[in-house]
Amino acid sequence: MGSLVREWVGFQQFPAATQEKLVEFFGKLKQKDMNSMTILVMGKGGVGKSSTVNSLIGEQVVRVSPFQAEGLRPVMVSRTMGGFTLNIIDSPGLVEAGYVNHQALELIKGFLVNRTIDVLLYVDRLDVYRVDELDKQVVRAITQTFGKDIWCKTLLVLTHAQFSPPDELSYETFSSKRSDSLLKTIRAGSKMRKQEFEDAAIPVVYAENSGRCSKNDKDEKVLPNGEPWIPNLVKAITDVATNKRKAIHVDKKMVDGSYSDDKGKKLIPLIIGAQYFIVKMIQGAIRNDIRTSGKPL
Amino acid sequence: MGDGAEIVDMSDREEKKKLAEDRISDEEVEKNELVRSDEVRDNEEEVFEEAIGSQEVPKLESFEADGLHEDLPLETTPGNSKDAHEVGDQEEKSEVNVQDIITMGEAESDFVTPRMNDDQGEAGADISFGKTESSLDVAENIEKATSSGFGLAAEDVSMENGNTHSFSENGVVFPEDKELVAEVISMSPWSEETGNDGIEDKNWEENVDVSAGMGTEQEVGQGEVTNENCFEKGFVCIDNESGAQRNGVDYNSVQNASGDKSLNDSIEVARSGTSSPLEKSSSEEKGETEGHGSSGSPGVTFREHETVQKSNGGHDVQHNSQSNKELEQQQDSRVNIGPEIKESQHVEREYDVLSSVSPTESTSNTAASPPTRPAGLGRAAPLLEPAPRVPQQPRVNGNVSHNQPQQAEDSTTAETDEHDETREKLQLIRVKFLRLTHRLGQTPHNVVVAQVLYRLGLAEQLRGRNGSRVGAFSFDRASAMAEQLEAGGQDPLDFSCTIMVLGKSGVGKSATINSIFDEVKISTDAFQMGTKRVQGVEGFVQGIKVRVIDTPGLLPSWSDQHKNEKILKSARAFIKKNPPDIVLYLDRLDMQSRDSGDMPLLRTITDVFGPSIWFNAIVGLTHAASAPPDGPSGTASSYDMFVTQRSHVIQQAIRQAAGDRRLMNPVSLVENHSACRTNRAGQRVLPNGQVWKPHLLLLSFASKILAEANALLKLQDNIPGGQFVARSKALPLPFLLSSLLQSRPQAKLPEQQYDGEEDEDDLDDSSDSDEEAEYDQLPPFKRLTKAEMAKLSKSQKKQYLDEMEYREKLFMKRQMKEERKRRKLLKKFAAEIKNLPNGYSENVEEERSEPPSVPVPMPDLSLPASFDSDNPTHRYRYLDSSNQWLVRPVLETNGWDHDIGYEGVNAERLFVVKDKIPISFSGQVTKDKKDANVQLEMASSVKHGEGRSTSLGLDMQNVGKELAYTIRSETKFNNFKKNKAAAGLSVTLMGDSVSAGLKVEDKLIANKWFRMVMSGGAMTSRGDVAYGGSLEAQFRDKDYPLGRFLSTLGLSVMDWHGDLAIGGNIQSQVPIGRSSNLIARANLNNKGAGQVSIRVNSSEQLQLAMVSLVPLFKKLLSYYSLQQM
Repeated sequence: MGSLVREWVGFQQFPAATQEKLVEFFGKLKQKDMNSMTILVMGKGGVGKSSTVNSLIGEQVVRVSPFQAEGLRPVMVSRTMGGFTLNIIDSPGLVEAGYVNHQALELIKGFLVNRTIDVLLYVDRLDVYRVDELDKQVVRAITQTFGKDIWCKTLLVLTHAQFSPPDELSYETFSSKRSDSLLKTIRAGSKMRKQEFEDAAIPVVYAENSGRCSKNDKDEKVLPNGEPWIPNLVKAITDVATNKRKAIHVDKKMVDGSYSDDKGKKLIPLIIGAQYFIVKMIQGAIRNDIRTSGKPL
Repeated sequence: MGDGAEIVDMSDREEKKKLAEDRISDEEVEKNELVRSDEVRDNEEEVFEEAIGSQEVPKLESFEADGLHEDLPLETTPGNSKDAHEVGDQEEKSEVNVQDIITMGEAESDFVTPRMNDDQGEAGADISFGKTESSLDVAENIEKATSSGFGLAAEDVSMENGNTHSFSENGVVFPEDKELVAEVISMSPWSEETGNDGIEDKNWEENVDVSAGMGTEQEVGQGEVTNENCFEKGFVCIDNESGAQRNGVDYNSVQNASGDKSLNDSIEVARSGTSSPLEKSSSEEKGETEGHGSSGSPGVTFREHETVQKSNGGHDVQHNSQSNKELEQQQDSRVNIGPEIKESQHVEREYDVLSSVSPTESTSNTAASPPTRPAGLGRAAPLLEPAPRVPQQPRVNGNVSHNQPQQAEDSTTAETDEHDETREKLQLIRVKFLRLTHRLGQTPHNVVVAQVLYRLGLAEQLRGRNGSRVGAFSFDRASAMAEQLEAGGQDPLDFSCTIMVLGKSGVGKSATINSIFDEVKISTDAFQMGTKRVQGVEGFVQGIKVRVIDTPGLLPSWSDQHKNEKILKSARAFIKKNPPDIVLYLDRLDMQSRDSGDMPLLRTITDVFGPSIWFNAIVGLTHAASAPPDGPSGTASSYDMFVTQRSHVIQQAIRQAAGDRRLMNPVSLVENHSACRTNRAGQRVLPNGQVWKPHLLLLSFASKILAEANALLKLQDNIPGGQFVARSKALPLPFLLSSLLQSRPQAKLPEQQYDGEEDEDDLDDSSDSDEEAEYDQLPPFKRLTKAEMAKLSKSQKKQYLDEMEYREKLFMKRQMKEERKRRKLLKKFAAEIKNLPNGYSENVEEERSEPPSVPVPMPDLSLPASFDSDNPTHRYRYLDSSNQWLVRPVLETNGWDHDIGYEGVNAERLFVVKDKIPISFSGQVTKDKKDANVQLEMASSVKHGEGRSTSLGLDMQNVGKELAYTIRSETKFNNFKKNKAAAGLSVTLMGDSVSAGLKVEDKLIANKWFRMVMSGGAMTSRGDVAYGGSLEAQFRDKDYPLGRFLSTLGLSVMDWHGDLAIGGNIQSQVPIGRSSNLIARANLNNKGAGQVSIRVNSSEQLQLAMVSLVPLFKKLLSYYSLQQM
């Protein structure tokens, strides 16, 4: 479906240091009998989902256009390397004109039928100061679509990490504050209980996809705090993929959303009964009417 | 950006257009010379093409929608939609007419309908006779209309005729009202704007013909000035008005505002333009035309009163010269049928001038060709260029100084003393502005500064009564003065500017304010909602007093819009006392809101403050120092490109939210980050080298200065500066007045529905008894069969028919009499019942309260002869229901959609409250692809006392884009038998302006033959008063409905802005013989425009042959009119 599974050419593009680390992580996955991994990337529009995908693959696989809205369909990119298959699904932005784009979510869900999501990358920008109602709505929509459990397989990716925080805040303070507020939003939006949420322990990773990203002496893209971020991201991904939680399998039932109707099952006979009585009542009333009025109209 | 390609495109287009026009004009000339009488047909075609054009123009020009030029093509669209709207209205009206007629006359419907649906079956012979060419055409078109485009207009005419027609035959209709409106409106074409009155069709037609006529005339080179000219001008203006009102957007109103002034001024400019075209450098010429063009359309808007109502020949000449000039310069032609371009309506023609100007402008803007004129001064271009276009500066510099002296040379007339004071003040403003500029560390050659100065100069020039000179020295002197004053140090200036800051939460509103004042006035926090409430901050920047209103951040989600609303409402309350001069809408530069995520909050802002808030808004892009995102190829895009793109997105969004496609908000960049690069003076510098703060302040100050200048020159109220809180539009007072003067029948109880004439017929009671007796005394009479008839000799036949007619007449009279008696009896009976004890009356009441068993007439649309798929009528028959709500679809057969032409719903209902007070409700909602129209009318009347009744009504209708609400009340006194007086009041609320009117009406019924209605009234709105009066006299046959003789004389006077419009209308209907009618109508107004029409209709089949006379007559007439010319 969709794109063919190709040899991972872009892998060679990574700096040697990164390649080493990645191979290590993938080896770890293989040890756990995971020969393939599916990553779903979601987030609001324009936060850098596609760019993140491109950075992860190391190729310009998804078209990135700063000013045009991306296509409405999710795109899957698959790469194999040494028997290991990496599937990354890039999705359209979830916000449209101030609303959550449920249609896009439906599309994503439809796209994912009979697939298993190993990791969800929830992408947002680091250099935005506020979270608003819309963020919460997005989280809520994702929760409604894929269930609460998806957040246990989630990684929060904050893009545009290379920036200097305002108001003389230190980079660390700012980023931790920002991730905290986002995590809080996720918790509120998904309506998880506190314990649940702590168990999920959503890790936060920072990313900088810009070509302007500064690099260390090993030619790795690094964050302002000096850490190379791509290996970090992959490490976090493998960690999440291998955590004890079950991967989210999107099946037909989930897509059709049939389970949501089970709630009202018990009411069905009740309603039928009620209907019977109501009809009786109406009929009685009509008869009564006819009797009293006497002559037909 | 594809500038080059665009330029090519444009010039290409122009070329094509030119060619096409030449071709057409040749054709025109030929036709014109050879076959005069064919003109009508040509006109039809033209109009038809125009109609097509109106659909195609936007499409054709849409390719321009990019970058700087995007506003150009859009200019045509409002006009289009307006036209479409008008067409729609006419159609709507005609639709209603059809139904009316059909309901009114059963016998008549055969007669009228075929003519309306299809001209083939024309039964009556219409012979028209025109004094002026235009009216000739109208008259001819009545017969000629065949196909859609012109069909609309012409159909309406025949409709109208049909109306009078049925009037003569049935005698049940009261056409007086209609006729009255006809006069009033044909006198005052500006009421066209409201597009609601059936009679505007008349103007429309005249205009259609006229424009075509004019086009040909100009092409032939006769340059003859006729009254048509004035008509056309007037017409053009009307449609422009809506556009002009929104022109403030372009910061153009310094020019726009000239509208208020008399025609003279704007023409003066035109004349100065024409007088010496050769002396001017090409650049100057362009600038001049441009300047004029930009003032042109609004100027025209107001000129309409002048031209249309005064009909001053001199003015027309000037118009012509102006338009000729435009013709010469822009190779634009008056013929509006460029097949390529397909100019749609008259409006387009005016717009076209502008749009054909604009390409040259944009060419000069974008190409690095020799300097032409200051960039962006065009009508549609923004006053203030988006910020990062600094490289244009040097070019502009050379230009401004080059430009101004030339302007000075243009005008040759001497300056007068009376404007010295104003000029002095203007000069002070100029000095002030230069001082501000100086303080902000900008040179007078900055783009923004240059533009403001240019505008000030232009305003002054337009303002000066005699085209007074703007001395080149004014600039130099001002500059010198400013420098001198500034040298003294930074003492506080007599200037303050209030800026309101709006924007999403977290974009840096408070931080921007802090940056403006260079100190922490408001504490900010990256993660908290910094500002909790609306607050004003005052401070001095370089000795200039600046007041900033900080508002809490807005939220982007739809679900949060009620919160936003709350915030904005508090802001609105805050600024009530002290409206801001400028609104700064902030957003982040580095947010890629491609998902139109800002739309909800932009919409909310528009809803709360009104679209006018955007007229004075500057877009501020914070985080301006952030790096541009990677392009599609992964390489970094350029900063300027990034800024342009981003500005474009926001401007587009604002445009959409404001619903005004010509908005072009200037963009300023803002960077509040403490780590921002600074120059040696400690000012923050953006990556493109711009120092943002002075730029932002300059933009704000510039618009404040322009507003001040406007206020000083008392220019028209579409001032961009100043109070957007209470922006108003001039109400079409004369239109309102004429609708007030119109006498309306009062709402009646259902049982009284049919005794409409009762009060009038009271008079007749006494007289008829003898005649009645006569009928009874007549010897028995036997009708002859056809066979028997054939046997009679000619004289016998005649005698027989005479006798029969006489008897018929008597019989009908008696019937009417009886009917009247019966009604009266019923009424009496009803009154008695009411007096009876309850128990009995209840029964009766019950019966009455049932839905009226009288079937509600559900007029079926006349079905087409065939079940053609083209005609949807047969598919949409609707049922007759006993429901009291009468709901009908509104069909537009010639609308956009040929398949399903239903565009609206019409609902009517008569309520009765407490068995006493009737309330009638009728409403119509139509919606086509472009416009939605609502028309609601509620009326009620109460009888109090003897012979006194008061009616109260509420009307709601679309006037242009606004909804106008009218409350009117009228009291009638029937104190005397022969005299009825009425006085009325009405209040209209349209947009945010209110107008009030008063009227007095007196109806005199002298005797059976003669009756007269006089009315007078005044309408006022914001100190603007219009007076009007009308008189209508009617002579009619003694027993009118039977005897068909009727003549009416109508006179009306309207005075507005000192322009007097007088119109007269006379109509006479004389029966000739047994079955023929002669109807003559003439109208004339003080502009010299008039119409004469003579109609003969006959129900005798023999006379059908008369139809063949029509072409003959026409030919003769065409000879006659040729001779006249």
